[in-house]
Amino acid sequence: MMLLPLLLLSACQADKATPALGGDPENGRLLLRQFGCGTCHEIPKVATARGKVGPPLGGIAHRVYIAGVLPNTPENMASFIRHPEKHAPRTAMPDLGVTETHARDMVAYLYTLK
Amino acid sequence: MRCRFIIAGVGLAAVLGAGITVYAGWYDISATDQHLAPTYWLLDTGMRRSIKYRARGIAAPDLADPARIRDGAFLYRQHCLQCHGAPGVAPAPFALGMTPVPVPLVHTARSWTPAEMFWVVKEGIKMTGMPAWEFRMSEEDIWSVVALVQRLPYFSPDDYRRTAVPGLDAYEARASSDWEVSIRRGRIALQQYACVACHRIPGITGHEARVGPPLAGIASRTMLGGVLSNSPDNMVRWIREPQQASPLTAMPDLGVTERDARDMAAYLSTLR
Repeated sequence: MMLLPLLLLSACQADKATPALGGDPENGRLLLRQFGCGTCHEIPKVATARGKVGPPLGGIAHRVYIAGVLPNTPENMASFIRHPEKHAPRTAMPDLGVTETHARDMVAYLYTLK
Repeated sequence: MRCRFIIAGVGLAAVLGAGITVYAGWYDISATDQHLAPTYWLLDTGMRRSIKYRARGIAAPDLADPARIRDGAFLYRQHCLQCHGAPGVAPAPFALGMTPVPVPLVHTARSWTPAEMFWVVKEGIKMTGMPAWEFRMSEEDIWSVVALVQRLPYFSPDDYRRTAVPGLDAYEARASSDWEVSIRRGRIALQQYACVACHRIPGITGHEARVGPPLAGIASRTMLGGVLSNSPDNMVRWIREPQQASPLTAMPDLGVTERDARDMAAYLSTLR
């Protein structure tokens, strides 16, 4: 019981942490929608992102591997979003021509999904 | 009336006390901390009663066949010796660090029936370190192990050495091929191959696994591992040989048998 306020406090602090890769999480959320990521993935708080082709992205910030092949770091995630086939040659995930800046914003948002 | 209040008060205090002890971390979970005598008695009695109750109705085949005992000796050396030792053979060092310490099986047959031993080997025992062998050995093989354990009280160390020596040559795996796909068995297999160690799977209790994706809704997902289209056959293929389908994947080949993979796929197909 005494630990509860501490837990809440640490949760608040986590929310205020600097975004991954210095990206803009809010812009990232919009970009995930704009690039149609939601046609294949379920993404929390992205309207219409209810796709069932790839895995759901809820909790992706804590997942150990990206696509089962890359250790999950912000840098690896950005790189995978930009060039999925470079990391997983047989993957069904397409290269959507995402720029470096856009990838960083997407990662910033995805890293808020704990 | 007043007495009732006191009893209720004491009960409430006990529950609260237990809750605080657990939540504050005061309970010592370490294997070096022995159980208190009453705790040990409770767990031990619970285990004994449970085994006797659950093994009722199991009928043992003929266990006296020398060929079966030799098969059992081979399997015992492969899978049991490390923890339980044998006449004149000590367990491996890691086994001695376990709590509870694995029992020497040299006297087990004096107090347990073959059916009870069969049940324990097949199902394993929670929180003791005793694994379930159902998905690792056929029922025939488990009976062979029981046949050997049944003989152990009458084996001198020298008898044991002579029985165990023939080993691999004398042993022939008896794989049975007549089985029906079972969703229930698939659910247990997903737990028994430790799939829940990496994936969250509805219907199977486990920690918050975050290595691979959660498998809720897997039946309606289109792709498997990002590389295979999701069909029952591809699911079996992916479970059995993930690295054939996706050479770089972190998902390991767990040596899942065809039958177990079919059952797992059947269970996963219910997760819409």
